[in-house]
This record gives sequence, structure tokens and C-alpha cells, in this order.
Amino acid sequence: MDSLVDELIKIREQGSAAVMATVIEAAEGGRVRPGDKCLIRDGRVQTATIRHEGLLRAVVQEAEARLKEEKSKLVPLEVPDAGAKVEIFFEVMPSPPRLIVVGAGHIAVPLVKFAKIVDFRVSVLDDRMLFANRERFPEADEILVGDMAAMLKGLPITSSTYIVLITRGHKYDELCLREIIHSPAGYIGMIGSRRRIKACFQRFREEEKIGEEIIQKVYAPIGLDINTETPEEIALSILAEIIKVRRGGKARSLSGK
Amino acid sequence: MAGPGTCHEDTASERKQTESIYHQVKEFLDKGETLAVATIVSTRGSTPREAGAKMVVTAWGEMLGTIGGGCGEADVKREAIEVIRTRKPRLVRVDLLDDISSDSPAVCGGIMNVFIDPWWKEKEG
Repeated sequence: MDSLVDELIKIREQGSAAVMATVIEAAEGGRVRPGDKCLIRDGRVQTATIRHEGLLRAVVQEAEARLKEEKSKLVPLEVPDAGAKVEIFFEVMPSPPRLIVVGAGHIAVPLVKFAKIVDFRVSVLDDRMLFANRERFPEADEILVGDMAAMLKGLPITSSTYIVLITRGHKYDELCLREIIHSPAGYIGMIGSRRRIKACFQRFREEEKIGEEIIQKVYAPIGLDINTETPEEIALSILAEIIKVRRGGKARSLSGK
Repeated sequence: MAGPGTCHEDTASERKQTESIYHQVKEFLDKGETLAVATIVSTRGSTPREAGAKMVVTAWGEMLGTIGGGCGEADVKREAIEVIRTRKPRLVRVDLLDDISSDSPAVCGGIMNVFIDPWWKEKEG
């Protein structure tokens, strides 16, 4: 089991998506036994005790479908050529959503805590080591110190990446937003007063010629409308907004969305 | 078996357990132990957890992770110890309908099929 367990640990640590297929029941003559396995990652077999080539191909194909659905399931299959029936359990291990918190100030501290509780992989970015450090963010998966906009440029951003811009100044938020506004991120939220946000978007339209549909994707002012007062409450309203976007909820955002 | 109220546990903390479960599994396997990995593969009716939930049982009956607490977990543990002894996997049907040992209204009421698989270091995989 050595290589299987090592692969499973690696998948967890790297936060990648994978499917483990296990033979649960097998009819005679199919050259497979209950307990035979196959671990699939990025559409490729990482390790397998299912030896039958044809069945392995069918399993890889089925695994892709299960991963898309993000649901573990017991599936009846037939061993090609042999005709023997098998029951295979597909255990889906989806890639966890990722939260990038830009700005390590007083809202970031509770935000990172809350995000870890609801199972996000969390990265914290700031250009001040005094703020972006292990003492303040013991739960964070990653703490990056340096030029925030430049670091954002280097990070992989997918539709399961959620980005929160809460730096110490609107100038920095805007610089960072410029860097990511065309990215495929699942969510971009930016803190700030309505007046400052309006001015920022105006500059984007006029100077950067950024289309209205792109600008409208940004959640600013950030958070759900729950009349927050403290940094902790603001963090909660930001995370609630992210969950709303991720799960397709209907609660009203401060940005009117 | 555990009493009422064990059917509904905090799923977030459970998933946290799964996150580190393979690290723990590795430690046990490296020590030369055989473990039983029990996974819910299908359910019918109301069950505490869904297909994919996992629990690891050691030869001494120690359990890592959960497949839903009191509801049937003790049955699975008993079977798991047999699986470790024989090193042969088995599929166990856990019926939560007539869980006589727990005559409380908290009984879940469904059926779950649990695959119990022996894992040891030298086994291929």
C-alpha cells in the first residue's frame, strides 16, 4: 500500500483533485478481485492494482464523469471482453477551493480563521512582514511577503480561486484589481467606500478601457448586507458572500448583486 | 454503542480528520500493522453520512474518522477486526432501521453498505 498512501498524502497536500476507484464486488472470470484499486489524477492513472487494461480504460473514463459531478458513487461496470460484472466505488476527492487574502490587516485575521473552518486553502499576501507572519496567521496554508500586485500575477488562478482585496490603502487595492480583473477567478471582492469604488471603476473604464461586464463581476463594496460593525463581523460578511457565490445563494450583497 | 445525538456530527471537523487520516494510516502501516479502511459505498433512506465517508480501524479497535457515530459504527468495527485478521475485504450491510441497542428516537432509519478493506504495507497498491 506504500505508493498508494504516499500518493493520497501528496494529493491532499497539493490540494489537487483525484478519484480513487475500488472494486467492491466482482463476478468470477473477470480477473479482478474486491479490493483492487486505481488512483486517478489529472486524467492519468497514478497507481493501480486493477490489471485488466480494458477495465482500467473504462474506469478512467468513468472517473472523469464522477469528478465533474463532484459526487462519490457506486457504479456497475462490465469487464470488457470477459463480460463479467463488477461493482466499482468511485471516491471523488475534489480540489478544495482556494482563498487569496490580499492585505494582512485586522479584517484578514478573523477572515483566515473562518475560511479555514469552512475548508478553504488560504493564502495571505502583504508587503509588510510585520503583518503577514505565522504569529498572526497560524492557520494559513501560505503567507507571502512582497509586492502584492506582482505576487498575484505569479499565482495560479482558476474558477475555484476566490480573491479578497483588503489592503491598507485603496491605491493598493486598485493596483491589485488591475492585475486580476481579467483572470478566471470565481470571485473578486474589494473593500472600500462607494465613492472610492465609483472613482476606481471610472478610471478602469476611461483609462484601461475595461468593459462594463468585466467591471460588474467585481464585488465592491465587499460583503453581504448584514449591517456589520466590527472587523470580525466584516470578515464574516465577506466569507458569507463568497459562500453565496460558490453555492449559488440569493442573499443580498452590498454591491447590489 | 453510543447513545442518542451521535447521528449528526459537524461535517467540517470530520473532513479535517479525513485530511490527516492518510498521514495516520501511513504511520500505522510503517509500524507493520494491518488496518481496515471502512468506506460507505451506498446508502438508502436517512443515514448520518453519505457515500464516501470513511473510517479507519486498527487491530485493537481504535477508530480514526467516522462514518456517523453510534448508528452502526460498532457493527462495522466488529467486522473490521475480522477483516484485519483474515486480510480479506468484505461488504457489510448496516441496517439502521432495527438498531435495537439504541432505542432512542435519534436512530437514523436508513441502510448503508460499507466496504471494509484491509491495508498493509507490503500489499500492492
